[in-house]
Amino acid sequence: MDSSSILDSLGVEIIGVMAPVSICMFLVVLLTYSLSVTSDPQIRTAANLIYIENPSDSATVKLEGSLLNAIVFVVLVAAVTFILVLLFYYNFTNFLKHYMRFSAFFVLGTMGGAIFLSIIQHFSIPVDSVTCFILLFNFTILGTLSVFAGGIPIVMRQCYMVVMGIVVAAWFTKLPEWTTWFILVALALYDLVAVLAPGGPLKLLVELASSRDEELPAMVYEARPTVSSGNQGRNRGSSLRALVGGGAGGVSDSGSVELQAVRNHDANQLGRGNSHNLDYNAVAVRDIDNVDGHGNEDRDVVERSPVVAISSEQSTAVGTRGNIEDRDNVMDEEMSPLVELMGWGDNREEPRGLEESDNVVDISNRGIKLGLGDFIFYSVLVGRAAMYDLMTVYACYLAIISGLGCTLILLAVYNRALPALPISIMLGVVFYFLTRLLMEPFVVGMTTNLMMF
Amino acid sequence: MTVAAGIGYALVALGPSLSLFVSVISRKPFLILTVLSSTLLWLVSLIILSGLWRPFLPLKANVWWPYALLVVTSVCFQEGLRFLFWKVYKRLEDVLDSFADRISRPRLFLTDKLQIALAGGLGHGVAHAVFFCLSLLTPAFGPATFYVERCSKVPFFLISAIIALAFVTIHTFSMVIAFEGYAKGNRVDQVIVPVIHLAAGMLTLVNFASEGCVIGVPLLYLVASLTLVHCGKMVWQRLLETRNQSSASR
Repeated sequence: MDSSSILDSLGVEIIGVMAPVSICMFLVVLLTYSLSVTSDPQIRTAANLIYIENPSDSATVKLEGSLLNAIVFVVLVAAVTFILVLLFYYNFTNFLKHYMRFSAFFVLGTMGGAIFLSIIQHFSIPVDSVTCFILLFNFTILGTLSVFAGGIPIVMRQCYMVVMGIVVAAWFTKLPEWTTWFILVALALYDLVAVLAPGGPLKLLVELASSRDEELPAMVYEARPTVSSGNQGRNRGSSLRALVGGGAGGVSDSGSVELQAVRNHDANQLGRGNSHNLDYNAVAVRDIDNVDGHGNEDRDVVERSPVVAISSEQSTAVGTRGNIEDRDNVMDEEMSPLVELMGWGDNREEPRGLEESDNVVDISNRGIKLGLGDFIFYSVLVGRAAMYDLMTVYACYLAIISGLGCTLILLAVYNRALPALPISIMLGVVFYFLTRLLMEPFVVGMTTNLMMF
Repeated sequence: MTVAAGIGYALVALGPSLSLFVSVISRKPFLILTVLSSTLLWLVSLIILSGLWRPFLPLKANVWWPYALLVVTSVCFQEGLRFLFWKVYKRLEDVLDSFADRISRPRLFLTDKLQIALAGGLGHGVAHAVFFCLSLLTPAFGPATFYVERCSKVPFFLISAIIALAFVTIHTFSMVIAFEGYAKGNRVDQVIVPVIHLAAGMLTLVNFASEGCVIGVPLLYLVASLTLVHCGKMVWQRLLETRNQSSASR
């Protein structure tokens, strides 16, 4: 055939985001199964401030305690976001960048190191401590570099984003069960409010960033589609938008706003007093609308990603931060409750977009960006489902993926920053409980009698 | 029985679908999305069915007719959903065709439509295999194995993987038959799909008898190969037709 079908390239962008999310979830499930991580009730973290769950408590006590935990957690996150907005307002960009690098180093080094150590112990891998230390050090440094420095291949950056998501999610699955569910639901609701409501901190951040046209480094996963050559590029970016835009008369402008909020949570455990480090990184990325029909003006499909990171050290015990032990559960989480869509251009800007990407190194012209926090919380949900059964894992995986698909379609329709957590988490929670309560007895009863349909 | 056996059982049930996925489906992202959405549809149908049947569970293990009723209602419900799936697909096809017109590309080819139907069927098949076989496979990764009294010659995991493989085949290819049947208005094709599904479900009831799996499973494979053959014939005919048409119009 001389002409290829539309089916060849339709939906590339969506798969470009769903694939790393699936990989992250799959690896977290593997980790959960192989390491048999059990929640240790003695650890007090920011998620456990009020109530430490004890398996022998009654249902009402657990309910109230977990609810309080979740509310406190969300309040902390909201407070830090507001501080973040303030910091961004006063232009502390360099400080934020350095802090992000430090937190990437810390997450990969300590939490990643703890996971590697437990893997080595579990599988009895014969490796000595010097080699292990050197390997871990190299791994961590490479990760830190790949997060923000230029000149690193995008694949490496994507891999490290996924690895960081896995590490943080694996840590989060150590939280007790009820607390985990309540925190997930509370965060999904918070996300919805923070991004869409008029007074929401993330919305303020987007507006600040867009009014200033600033760029911030971001802990986000960029799914850049492969740049195809020549006239095939015509349909690259616009296919989904055009498809969804449907009867509205073809493709529209390519402005897109993206917003990711990256949030860092550091919490030290008990034994050192209640020292918390709450860091909040918010990332806002923005794409300037293309100017239509203005002659020789270069239509910049430029993305600037302003990032605001804030860290507030409330702890006086600085020395404890450097204490790297297995008990030192430092929780760094980057939460990006938003999905961004960049560069859904129309046909005219495609050739120019190609030139742009040749000249400028770190500007991404096409593709969807998904914040790291989304990876983390999706994987936490699936990891928690994995502690029950494989059936719930699959059901929750499907729910999350379909929620993500819905969010992406909404993104193409509304063309503004959208929260990525609410739909997926809600679907995931609903499917988990439905599967556990309804489907399990049905299916198991049938298959053990070798009856299927 | 160890990780190797566990992976082996999983591959028995899902091996062909994995190779189908890698060779055909993974090339086109749209087909991956189709697989995911049809899996989701199957999951939702299973949840609704289990919700409906929950008050009556657990069923007594030695009476066979409640199970028969269960299978019949489930099959009818799922066939109804298949028809709905086809309706949604029809609308999607119209959207895709108008999109193709708008960007001056050719409309969906026959092979495209067949591939979408195949992806839909694969989604159903994979969902079946995962929920009915893989989810129970976790103990197989340990050091022991498990036998059921009704089928005492073969480990439970192996027999459920074999049955799942037959069902995966049936689901995958009957979706192609069904879509073509609905598109062409061909009564035979439209009716044969629910009949096959029901027959397959009923055949598993044979497993209820002691050592019934010796008869039940080969018969099930007979039904699966019938599905394969019918689908192959039908697709071959359609492709020949289309090629004759396009060469006649030149």
